[in-house]
Amino acid sequence: MARLEDEFRHVLSSRALDLEIEALADLGGSLSISSDRSNSASSAELQVVDEDDSVSSLVGRRSSYRSLPSIREIDLLPDDAVSDLRAIASRMAAAGYGRECAQVYASVRKPAVDASLRRLGVERLSIGDVQRLEWKALEAKIRRWIRAARAAVRGVFASERRLCFLIFHDLPISNITVTAAAPATHDTPFAEAVKGAALQLFGFAEAISIGRRSPEKLFKIIDLHDALSDLLPDVSDIFAASKVAESIYVQAAEIRSRLADAVRGILSEFENAVLRDPPKTAVPGGTVHPLTRYVMNYSSLISDYKVTLSELIVSRPSASARLAAEGNELAPSLAELDLPEPDNQTPLAAHIIWIIVVLEHNLEGKASLYRDTALSHLFLMNNVYYIVHKVKDSPDLWNLIGDDYLKRLTGKFTMAATNYQRSAWLKILNCLRDEGLHVSGGFSSGISKSALRERFRSFNAAFEEAHRVQSGWCVPDTQLREELRISISEKLVPAYRSFLGRFRHHIENGKHPELYIKYSAEDLEIAVNDFFEGVPPSPHIRRRSHS
Amino acid sequence: MPATDSSSAAAPLTSFGRSFLSHRRDQIPPPPPDHHSHSHTQHPSSSDLEIDAFHRHAADLLHDLLSDSNSDPSAPDLLSLAWTRRLLDSFLICLEEFRAILFALADSQPLSRPPLDRLLLDFLDRAVKALDLCNALRDGLDLIRQWRKHLAIAAAALAPAPAAQRGEAQIRRARKALTDLTILMLDDKDAGGVVGQRNRSFGRAGTTRDSLPHGHGHHRRSSSGGSSGSGSGSHLRSLSWSVSRTWSAARQLQAIGGGLTVPRANDIAATGGLASAVYAMGAVLFVVTWALVAAIPCQDRGLQAHLTAVPRTFPWAGPLITLFDRILDESKKKDRKHSCGLLKEIHQIERCSRQLMEVTDAAEFPLADDKDSEVQEATQELVQVCGSLKDGLDPLERQVREMFHRVVRTRTEILDYLSRPHNAG
Repeated sequence: MARLEDEFRHVLSSRALDLEIEALADLGGSLSISSDRSNSASSAELQVVDEDDSVSSLVGRRSSYRSLPSIREIDLLPDDAVSDLRAIASRMAAAGYGRECAQVYASVRKPAVDASLRRLGVERLSIGDVQRLEWKALEAKIRRWIRAARAAVRGVFASERRLCFLIFHDLPISNITVTAAAPATHDTPFAEAVKGAALQLFGFAEAISIGRRSPEKLFKIIDLHDALSDLLPDVSDIFAASKVAESIYVQAAEIRSRLADAVRGILSEFENAVLRDPPKTAVPGGTVHPLTRYVMNYSSLISDYKVTLSELIVSRPSASARLAAEGNELAPSLAELDLPEPDNQTPLAAHIIWIIVVLEHNLEGKASLYRDTALSHLFLMNNVYYIVHKVKDSPDLWNLIGDDYLKRLTGKFTMAATNYQRSAWLKILNCLRDEGLHVSGGFSSGISKSALRERFRSFNAAFEEAHRVQSGWCVPDTQLREELRISISEKLVPAYRSFLGRFRHHIENGKHPELYIKYSAEDLEIAVNDFFEGVPPSPHIRRRSHS
Repeated sequence: MPATDSSSAAAPLTSFGRSFLSHRRDQIPPPPPDHHSHSHTQHPSSSDLEIDAFHRHAADLLHDLLSDSNSDPSAPDLLSLAWTRRLLDSFLICLEEFRAILFALADSQPLSRPPLDRLLLDFLDRAVKALDLCNALRDGLDLIRQWRKHLAIAAAALAPAPAAQRGEAQIRRARKALTDLTILMLDDKDAGGVVGQRNRSFGRAGTTRDSLPHGHGHHRRSSSGGSSGSGSGSHLRSLSWSVSRTWSAARQLQAIGGGLTVPRANDIAATGGLASAVYAMGAVLFVVTWALVAAIPCQDRGLQAHLTAVPRTFPWAGPLITLFDRILDESKKKDRKHSCGLLKEIHQIERCSRQLMEVTDAAEFPLADDKDSEVQEATQELVQVCGSLKDGLDPLERQVREMFHRVVRTRTEILDYLSRPHNAG
């Protein structure tokens, strides 16, 4: 019997085939049945073409053994070696030495499995190690892990199970028990060989799920969650047969839950972060705030990942989250905001709307930092426009947010635009009004020359000031910038032209007309083009020589 | 005190659990009316009372762990599997109460207000170190399971069902199994000796493609064992540590207990007493993980870590220090000093297998009657050890996993709480 045992050991260890394990990982595409997303927060997932035949030729003959289509078992030993092993195992088991046989099997296969996983790139990282690493480094490891895990589960573990089956099926390897125990099935040697490696493999995913929840992690963790979800049916299939193996499946399922929790937690954390973002100093020129870009890009990505997120996000932003906002001195009125809640709105959609609402509110706080009210309105214009634009650019995002809320946002934009125009231009345009210029009776034609001169002077000063200041303001969106200039021109130039037309002769008949009539209408038109460039203008307003 | 139902604790707690909340309800009288308000120490606030109760309950739990079979016949022996399960139960109860207190008092003592936030984050850092230990301990328990399998083979050979004559083949088979076991345990002791010995390789006799690139546990040895007869074969060790070569249980323990400083009086006052609760929980975390490492095999099982200067004013300090000392004493005993784990059942494994080997040494067949009955006796003990291992290992492993879960959950809850906007700053 001892000789048989040694023979068994010998055949098992020396006849093992030299496998291109790494090839299993490289052809991960053929082992992945879910489609990778086209966008991801960091570099894109590798897209690999399915190369069925070359997998087989590189890695070993493939045979399907009552398994899911995604699984690819490979031969770990040549057929004749397997038959020999089967013969030995049968004899040992028949003689009551099944347990020894099973033990030898596990003791030889275990290091082989460990080595395979090593070659696939699975590392022995402790939770402490994972905590210490920078997120960028972890992202790379997650990507590698996903590839490795697919190969490990669908290739390595599946093949091990098949080998164990071929050798031990229907053999009584553990029926002699001294104490009452559940009868071990023929899977036990396989489970023993693979257990450590499997737990270590999933342990990495678990370590990731335990980490601190910061918003940057969301999308990679969703990737990890999805990859694990994808693998669970295979894990269940491979590890279902014995109690030992079952615990592996249970653990993998637990880890998937943890990852789902992490996703939910990170989304909350993101929402909190937007709420908490402090006003700090005002962004110069009233341009689009980095926070706006960040939040809208993030929201866009959320909509890319909406398939998984819709499954995972099952509750709306809680009343307590909104109440929490109430306690925040930056957002006292957030809790009272009337959020659109159409009947068929998914929780995910509610969250995105909430995020944008919080963003808007935060932006209003930032807008109040500007001393110039016109600038704070411009700031809001820029930022809300950016939000609206981002939504329109992404059909998924638009879908989630819904037309109603988009209308609301657009309305906010319009209001900001109107406010800007009023606060920036009302005073200037008022210089060009009729009222207050006419005096009744007397010898003059009814116009107070002094008042008129005063008007021209104030207009010039105010316009020059506006020109000086607002050229340094910024409207980053080209189209919006043009439209704004046009809108200003449309109000300003005709009014000026008409004012000039009606009253210039009064000034030209007096002394130093050039002090008062400094600009032609065309000059103004040209000057408006300087506005919102974000650069300080040339010191003088260019003008054509006036006639 | 009667054991009541655990109302707040989660499912796997045994009947040993006592609920802090129901305990307290019976005990604390309503505060007397305050006629003379001149003294600030006269009437402890209700939060003080709750925190005091927490300290006292921790003391009770630790005290119970120290009870021996003289005073309480149902008390399991120190460091047995059953005792270790009790240890974990106690930890889980303590953790749950700690969590309950934190959130119960969070309104009056915002967790994010310094210095409490800093103390909590420090505690959570230590708790994370315990997670790696939980995983390593699970591996250690699996190792013991592997040992048990060898015992089971020997037991099956010597006490088969139906009963058969113990002949040469059976004896040989049992001896081989036990020899393999001894080698296995020696090997792992190498990795996990109490004093942290340097790892001795048994000699790497060449490598194959499939051999492992690193890990001191992987090495080839020539086959041994008196009765195998093959001599020239070599086989790899059946288990490897699944942690990296540099991972060390001793270091984890050091990180958990090292630098755990007694809270200052003004910190305690500033946090309404919660600072002392955090300290207590940290101390309990340390002593529990330390005891687990002492009991169960794992990589680099150094027990040098200890807590510095625990103030005796805390009711749990006495029992905690006593527990620590008792286990330390056990680790220094002559026959346990080089063991790979202080778990009582490991000692039993060592003893039983040694005894059986002695009894069957140079046996002549057919066995004389007195010899046979010696063998039978030794076998019975072996069967018993097998049985207690079989019954005890799985539940303990589940509990270790539960400890993992609860620590993660508590940590997540506290971190989430700290990061919510109305709590920040």
